[in-house]
Amino acid sequence: MRSFWPIYKRELFAFFVTPLAWVLITVFLLVQGMHFFLLVDHFASAGQQLSDQTPLQAFFGNTVLLYLVLFLLVPPMTMRLFAEERRSGTIESLMTAPVSSVGVVLAKYAAVVTTYLAMWLPTVLYLVILRQTGDIDWSVAASAYLGVLLVGAGYLSLGMLMSAITKSQFLALVLTATVILALFILGVGEFVTREGTVMHDVCSHVSVWAHMNDFASGVVDSRRLVFYGSLVVLPLFVTVRAVDAWRWG
Amino acid sequence: MISVQHLVKRYGSKVAVDDLSFEVDRGEVVGFLGPNGAGKSTTLRVIAGFLGPTSGTVKVAGHDITTESFEARQKLGYMPEAVPHYPEMRVVEYLTFRAELKRVARGERKRAVWDAMGKANVRDVANVVIGHLSKGYRQRVGLADALVARPPLLVLDEPTAGLDPNQIRDVREVIRELGKEHTVLLSTHILSEVEASCSRVVVIAGGKLVAAGTMDEIAKKRRSAGLSVVVRGDLDAALAALRGVEGVAKAAPDAARRTDDGVHAVRCSWQKKLDEASAARATEEAVGALVRAGVFVREASPVKSSLEELFGELTGARAGAGGEEEEGAA
Repeated sequence: MRSFWPIYKRELFAFFVTPLAWVLITVFLLVQGMHFFLLVDHFASAGQQLSDQTPLQAFFGNTVLLYLVLFLLVPPMTMRLFAEERRSGTIESLMTAPVSSVGVVLAKYAAVVTTYLAMWLPTVLYLVILRQTGDIDWSVAASAYLGVLLVGAGYLSLGMLMSAITKSQFLALVLTATVILALFILGVGEFVTREGTVMHDVCSHVSVWAHMNDFASGVVDSRRLVFYGSLVVLPLFVTVRAVDAWRWG
Repeated sequence: MISVQHLVKRYGSKVAVDDLSFEVDRGEVVGFLGPNGAGKSTTLRVIAGFLGPTSGTVKVAGHDITTESFEARQKLGYMPEAVPHYPEMRVVEYLTFRAELKRVARGERKRAVWDAMGKANVRDVANVVIGHLSKGYRQRVGLADALVARPPLLVLDEPTAGLDPNQIRDVREVIRELGKEHTVLLSTHILSEVEASCSRVVVIAGGKLVAAGTMDEIAKKRRSAGLSVVVRGDLDAALAALRGVEGVAKAAPDAARRTDDGVHAVRCSWQKKLDEASAARATEEAVGALVRAGVFVREASPVKSSLEELFGELTGARAGAGGEEEEGAA
């Protein structure tokens, strides 16, 4: 595990020294800024009629914009993690140094999660702005950000796995986007299936929409924690196995 | 330092390395010679711990590469064939990263990077982004990378591939210098490379070992390729006599040697695949035929095949069996 730090640092370096990270962060903040502006504008004109929801809840839950952003940003963030190294051959230098597969995988994953958090960090400003107009329930805000972290961490883990099973960055991008979209569509199934059926239960269990609604209103359900915990750990585990498997190819 | 025993590496059904065994002792500079596609890179990748052996054992400094991979990799500096680097990093950043990865202690890292850059002659590009470097410099950055943790063993995969003649000379110089402190195993498909820098050579073809030993020992395997004679008398009669001998493929005046006053140097070459015993008999007959033709024989000396020809013979017979080298699992 001592190989963790150098690889973690190098991954962050590689991410921020190339334009990719800055382009992604800019796009992300533009979309989120617009989103926030629309919400504030909406709440300002509608006044107290929407008393069942706070702007905070509307920002994190009950909105398609959040998923759209994740759908667009996660695949390009994870696509290069392993695919690029395998295509260019740098993986050979990396794996012949005294490093462990677990260390390499965790370091790369930690780096991409760090980047993801860095993207969200400026949105805390929105809370500060909202505070000008009224009180903010900070525990609800924390729960909302926990939701954002969990959903993102799960998607990033899936994305890294996709990058590990192909040498093509583009293919990794397409695969990741497909899986994220599939998860989302499965979640939408919650609204089209009849209540009480197995399909409905399955759909509502994986529905990122419902999850984020919960988190945004301050509900931290242990089922959600288990679901996203699995969504992080399982792909990580398979990625480690994939990295080990290259040696026997 | 390296012990390879019955190594087999298969890619699917294709056998890249087939029951290969050899040893490299401490302090040696060993050349790993073979034509393209012989399985050199695959073998070196297994030794470096990048690929796992299908069967057989590989030990590096006493550590088995599969069970004690960590320890083995720490003893070894490896330079891959294509010398891949992260193009967005500066040379000094990259080497510092590599030093940290290879567990050079924090306090010694700067020193280690500086020393490695000195040995590999890349100090003048220390602050250049790797993506902007020429092939020769990138090759040497790869060498510096292999050296940075001061491993006792260096494994270099075609260290001079793709370089211009001046750069090749520089790199050979560096390798000779490194041979004083490190054990070196370097692969190449160029014979003169081995002659220039190695104390011993291991020749493989089609994934199999075909010869191993010092250059002198290998040179002894050269077969007799023909006969060089100096005769006094009629040149045409001598040539006719020689051409009549069984086993002679060609006989012609030796253009390289001066002839005068009816003294002629003649060189004849044996037919291909003539074994040593037949060559000896053909030599006896040739001298006899010359005498019978009424020319006086002043000198008769066997001509050995060149090292290049020997290399071709050693590896050529197997080349068909092995086929192209696998790209690897990378």
